[in-house]
Amino acid sequence: MLPIDAAAHSSRWRRRHPVDKAVLGLGLTVLAISLPPWPGAALVLLTALVVLLGPAGVPGRRLWRAYRVPLGFCVTGALTLLVQVGGPGGFVSFAADGPVRAGELLLRTSAASLGVLLFAFTTPLSDLLPRLVRAGIPAPVVDVALVTYRMSFLLLDSLRRIREAQAARLGHTSRAAEWRSLAGLGATAFVRAFDRAGRLQAGLAGRGYDGTLRVLVPEARVSVRFTAASCALLATLAALTFVLERPLT
Amino acid sequence: MHIAEGFLPPAHAVAWGVASAPFVVHGVRSLTREVREHPESTLLLGASGAFTFVLSALKLPSVTGSCSHPTGTGLGAILFRPPIMAVLGTITLLFQALLLAHGGLTTLGANVFSMAIAGPWAGYAVYALLRRSNAPLMVAVFSGAFVADLSTYCVTSVQLALAFPDPGSGFLGALGKFGSIFAVTQIPLAVSEGLLTVLVMRLLVQSSKGELTRLGVLLAKKQPRTETEAVTR
Repeated sequence: MLPIDAAAHSSRWRRRHPVDKAVLGLGLTVLAISLPPWPGAALVLLTALVVLLGPAGVPGRRLWRAYRVPLGFCVTGALTLLVQVGGPGGFVSFAADGPVRAGELLLRTSAASLGVLLFAFTTPLSDLLPRLVRAGIPAPVVDVALVTYRMSFLLLDSLRRIREAQAARLGHTSRAAEWRSLAGLGATAFVRAFDRAGRLQAGLAGRGYDGTLRVLVPEARVSVRFTAASCALLATLAALTFVLERPLT
Repeated sequence: MHIAEGFLPPAHAVAWGVASAPFVVHGVRSLTREVREHPESTLLLGASGAFTFVLSALKLPSVTGSCSHPTGTGLGAILFRPPIMAVLGTITLLFQALLLAHGGLTTLGANVFSMAIAGPWAGYAVYALLRRSNAPLMVAVFSGAFVADLSTYCVTSVQLALAFPDPGSGFLGALGKFGSIFAVTQIPLAVSEGLLTVLVMRLLVQSSKGELTRLGVLLAKKQPRTETEAVTR
């Protein structure tokens, strides 16, 4: 299991309905990209961090491990805004408003990422996917996504074992050997995926498979109090941004 | 290659979502039809989605000594066709956003357009064109994977340049800026992905002829003509 999903399964908010967490987490993300970066995104970032480490109970180290990935992309992307092409300063020169634009972008992306991480760290995909049918996603697509989700972990585990076996057989000692091993890994993943699908099909056919995958979904109700509190928090953040925007800028 | 969460302004994020929607809806219709006609396809398509997801977990040795990972869009398009790939790619990108924090939900439309639509369609077009002109399978596979990878990055450069035009030279300057940054790293990576795809396909031709024939990558062997057919002709 991947670290974020493993954390979601043992989350304090695991039993909450995904809609509750989507309103809060994805609401924060929407606010982060639509409010002015300063002070809007900064407020969203702070709030998301407090909620993640406080009420949601996500361990700080786990959060950092997941957060540093998008943060790295954000920093790399923001660096390109520091330079400009053409103009009086030469072919490539320092952009006058580059640091401000880069800072704003960094604030916006890091706040938006935390909003999605709040949702991801508290909602296992196995709770979310079966409920997507009610949101209007066609059942065959949800079934394919469910099989993809469950089979991904098995394949990732297989890949890890094959990679270890290849390393034990000196499969990574030279560049040529590394390419050979890599190709073997890709091809084996394909063969194993189709082999598993075939065996799963045979097993399900024996149990009267009619084309729909029925899975038990843990029962949960949308909490009106939680959703209302989330909406109030989001509204407060938006209002606070517009109040503070002028004096802080 | 993935545009990070919150990187695009809201108007751009919505516009790319709208641009991707018809392709994804077309893919969903194809997939739904396939599953209704052949219920067992759910499992095969799920396996294909899982294969696409784990492809992005393969570490590709790069010329700079660092590692990157293949997009898998070329191989996916050749094996499963672009309409199905639009759906599988969308599912994979959603999983990557929620399970690995790669990409994002607000940038899902833009990432789907570059990685699940533009890349697979461009790669598949080159592959199909070369196969029709009787080019060897491996040449077509290499070209398809190379073009799919490179076109994914070209579209990503356009998306970023539209969102962040250069203060001095506007859209074109920004396109040159993002394009040149990608070109340094991505042209060697596109060659690497093309070579890897050829190696994978060679192994698949040896070990999984049945599956490749079922997917239409290899032609089914013609049945020998029966005696009566031979006489009537």
